Amino acid sequence: MADARADVVIIGGGHNGLVAACYLARAGLKPLVLERRETVGGCAITEEFYEGFRASVLAHATAPLLPHIYEDLELARHGLEFVKPPVRVLALNADGPALAVYDDTARTVRELEKISAHDARAYAEFRESFKTIGRVLAPLLTMTPPSVDKPTKRELWNLSRLGLKFRGLNKRDAYRLLRYGPMAVADLAAEWFETETLRAVVAARGIYGALAGPWSAGTSAPLLLQAAIDGHTLAPSSFVKGGAGALSKALAQAAVSFGAKVRTGVDVMSVRVVNGKATAVVLTGGEEIGARAVVSNADPRRTFLKLVDPTDLDPNFLMKVRGYRSLGAAAKVNLALDRLPSFGGVEAPDANARLAGRIHVGPSIDYLERAFDDAKYGDYSKQPYMDITIPTLTDPALAPEGRHVMSIYVQFAPYNLKEGTWDERREEFGDAVVGALADYAPGLRETIIHRQVITPLDLERDYNLTGGHVLHGEPSLDQFFTFRPVIGYAQYRTPIKGLYLCGAGTHPGGGLTGAPGANASREILKDLKAGRRS
Amino acid sequence: MAQKYNAIVIGGGHNGLVNAAYLARAGKKVLVLERRHVLGGAAVTEEVFPGFKFSVCSYVVSLLRPEIIRELDLPRHGLEILPLDGTFTPMLDGDYLWRVNDHAKTRREIARHSRLDAEAYDEYGKAMIEMGRFVKPILGMTPPDPKSLNVKGLMDLVFLGRRFQQLPLEDKYNQVQLMTMSAVDFLDRWFETDVLKATMSASGIIGTFLGIRSPGTAYVLLHHYMGEIDGAFRSWGFARGGTGAISNSIADAAREAGAEIRTRCPIAKIIVQKGRAVGVVLENGDEIHADVVSSSVDPRLTFMKMIGEEHLPNEFVEDIRRYKFRGSSGKVNLALDGLPNFTCLPGAGPHLRGAVSISPSIEYMERAYDDAKYGRFSRHPYIDMVIPSLTDPSVAPPGKHVMSCFVQYAPYNLKEGTWDERREEFGDTVINTIAEFAPNISELILHRQVLTPLDIEREFGLSEGNIFQGELTLEQLFFLRPAPGWAQYRTPIRSLYMCGSATHPGGGIMGAPGRNAALRLLQDWKRGKV
Repeated sequence: MADARADVVIIGGGHNGLVAACYLARAGLKPLVLERRETVGGCAITEEFYEGFRASVLAHATAPLLPHIYEDLELARHGLEFVKPPVRVLALNADGPALAVYDDTARTVRELEKISAHDARAYAEFRESFKTIGRVLAPLLTMTPPSVDKPTKRELWNLSRLGLKFRGLNKRDAYRLLRYGPMAVADLAAEWFETETLRAVVAARGIYGALAGPWSAGTSAPLLLQAAIDGHTLAPSSFVKGGAGALSKALAQAAVSFGAKVRTGVDVMSVRVVNGKATAVVLTGGEEIGARAVVSNADPRRTFLKLVDPTDLDPNFLMKVRGYRSLGAAAKVNLALDRLPSFGGVEAPDANARLAGRIHVGPSIDYLERAFDDAKYGDYSKQPYMDITIPTLTDPALAPEGRHVMSIYVQFAPYNLKEGTWDERREEFGDAVVGALADYAPGLRETIIHRQVITPLDLERDYNLTGGHVLHGEPSLDQFFTFRPVIGYAQYRTPIKGLYLCGAGTHPGGGLTGAPGANASREILKDLKAGRRS
Repeated sequence: MAQKYNAIVIGGGHNGLVNAAYLARAGKKVLVLERRHVLGGAAVTEEVFPGFKFSVCSYVVSLLRPEIIRELDLPRHGLEILPLDGTFTPMLDGDYLWRVNDHAKTRREIARHSRLDAEAYDEYGKAMIEMGRFVKPILGMTPPDPKSLNVKGLMDLVFLGRRFQQLPLEDKYNQVQLMTMSAVDFLDRWFETDVLKATMSASGIIGTFLGIRSPGTAYVLLHHYMGEIDGAFRSWGFARGGTGAISNSIADAAREAGAEIRTRCPIAKIIVQKGRAVGVVLENGDEIHADVVSSSVDPRLTFMKMIGEEHLPNEFVEDIRRYKFRGSSGKVNLALDGLPNFTCLPGAGPHLRGAVSISPSIEYMERAYDDAKYGRFSRHPYIDMVIPSLTDPSVAPPGKHVMSCFVQYAPYNLKEGTWDERREEFGDTVINTIAEFAPNISELILHRQVLTPLDIEREFGLSEGNIFQGELTLEQLFFLRPAPGWAQYRTPIRSLYMCGSATHPGGGIMGAPGRNAALRLLQDWKRGKV
């Protein structure tokens, strides 16, 4: 007999779990969020990693959060503030000026005119084309992937509406949409641009979080997804004031204000399943909490291979879950800086403004591909691809007066190393990252007060990301839309009645958008309403 | 006075000949024009060295559509397929993997490496057969154009959708992964033995500029597996008399149906009047007129060279420019004084009668690809060798042998030097690689012919030396092959049709493009659309 009860128990207080809690509570249910760590947020957290220095130790930008979620959950009221510097990405060059891509197309075109008339022209059309394609794909984000067995009328209706939107596209964009899906992003970039750095920046979005290089087929799909999210193809510079943790804090507050409960420091050991139905969760302490529905914000592997007893699942399903690819290849290095290092090719006076967005290190397609090659053979990249932010430029409160925080997202760092363990090689890896970055910011080493290195192994141990995968699984075509996490179970439901998924391992996948959480809550509400009727 | 035909078929490759045969059988007056002195295109047998007959390019057969063999009655026209028994893969550690057509034998052999894999081998075979069943009807289908769907196209899509929907979940799952995954990831689901996965995934990269770990290669796996599941003959084989014999039998069928075939007739231009193709101009200046021109050569040659951009819509020109060829393979043909002796399995055993595959490990294959990515030919290439003279003595003098080596990767665009400068260096690399496994190879060589991608382009009119007339990647398949909106064998030029490997369903000695195009054309003819 359960010691306590809740309408819905949500395992994991990541941003998706909290979004789900908000929507469920808003609908009048009493959800209970259980977070293993002391702070909610999962990958969206702000922590003091060195005295006086706070950083978004994991995710350092939103994807961004879908606007309607921000509205629905009245997050402004709970103190959520976004910081959106005009520069979207600044691509560094070891020799030569850095290339800035702004949210504003005209400004970007002006920047490009200095290097290539062709690319300046192409860029304008590139943006337009993807804006248009994005508008067609946008409904996918908030859509529950249709059943592949027997789609309902409503699902078919949604699809046909999408089909009509597609028909509405002009031929060029329509065919682009069809061709780009399975294409290698290196080809896509080369189709549009001649400047190597620009090609690389475009390609970077396609491999972000994936164990793939720009020449891997299917790496163009993430660009289409990004276009659906905010009409752009490059990673957005959409930060949260106070760091990513402030987003989770606001979500948690919202959830509570809607009537949800949030408990931290409680570790769920297993999901209790009685005759094929999830009835409760069991905490490590032995405490049992009963619920009408159990929602897992944990990744699919952890949910089905750890939290649920395998005997409660069909072997074929288990086989698919084991086949779900979630071996991570990304790591984080966070630096506390005594002062801002100077970057080659980024001169005053507006240096700080240009550095305020995402900073891209990965000057060429070959550079990115070679970085991936290392990972293929079980080693971290000697010359890694880096996605860097210096949040203190837009949010000085994160560090002591005049000091700075540098958050470095690093690819590739494969979870499985051929030689040694991550525990043995953590600092060696940190040195390699700092060394690689020093090629672009010569004085960097001298400015470092403290360094935090988070390897894929740490991501798994400390943040419960199986395989250390920051996106809860590869963002590849075989794990996309109706196939995420596995075909037949892409509708946030699982083979176990009353057990749901709401994390990045479901459509539309990783990144701080809140979409999986929102979509999942919709399906859960459907079922609970239906249940009440019957 | 220029002669007049119903249809001129450009190129006497196997697809051109199939196309001509079907048109002729429908009572059309057909003329086939081949640039070279022999028919067959890439499916050709030539006596490169006195007494030694080589299947110069394409060297094995399995994909040839059974309906074509049936409908054209090719056996009566001299087609005889001899079995190619299995694949022998020497390993770096001195062991080997030897898969043969005898299923039980193969199971025992695989069990020697892994009992689990032996079990899985059966399931894998079953799964592939199911998937082959699903894909087969698509091969014979004219791809619908999703942007401008007519009733037929819509019905085709619905048909496909239904077929997919009716598959059991397991098969859906396999199908999806097959279309999207890399060969290695796909095989990982069944097998644990590295060499088994390496050598099986090899067929996933043939003719593409991809590695066995690149998503999309799993599909090519099936594309090559298709032959092993079609009723006509269950496995890969040789044509007696070399691959050219296939082309000759098709040519014979075409002639019997009344088609006229001329060799040594290089074409300079396709004559376009008021947006219609009305004939061709030969390089010698002769004009030949016809109601329809059907081109089996690749889109770059057809449109950029023979038509000319000025006659084409800009977007189409862009699409053709963008169409990826990227030849990635070369061919080394050897005249041998004896048989190679493999250290891991000495002697002239039956293992030499099948294919010998240099694909000892996944890492070996992947590193071969890495070289190519950065613009050099593989220092340790993947090699697929066959010795047809063991099965078909007629192709070599008594006691001598011909050995044909398909080599990947050999990128068309080299970062350093030209193929003309590096041809022999490439040849040596191949020989040295083989010598690592069969040291005596070097002493056996009487003659050697090295075909680089550049040679394949020059000799056989395959742009960038791509043996499939364009990469078999997802964005260049089905309704996107060769260009979105033009996957239905028609072209922006009225009465000009495409019937080569650059159209659905793509390359290999399959004949499907030639047949599909002919049926499409005949239909248009009936409807007076030509």
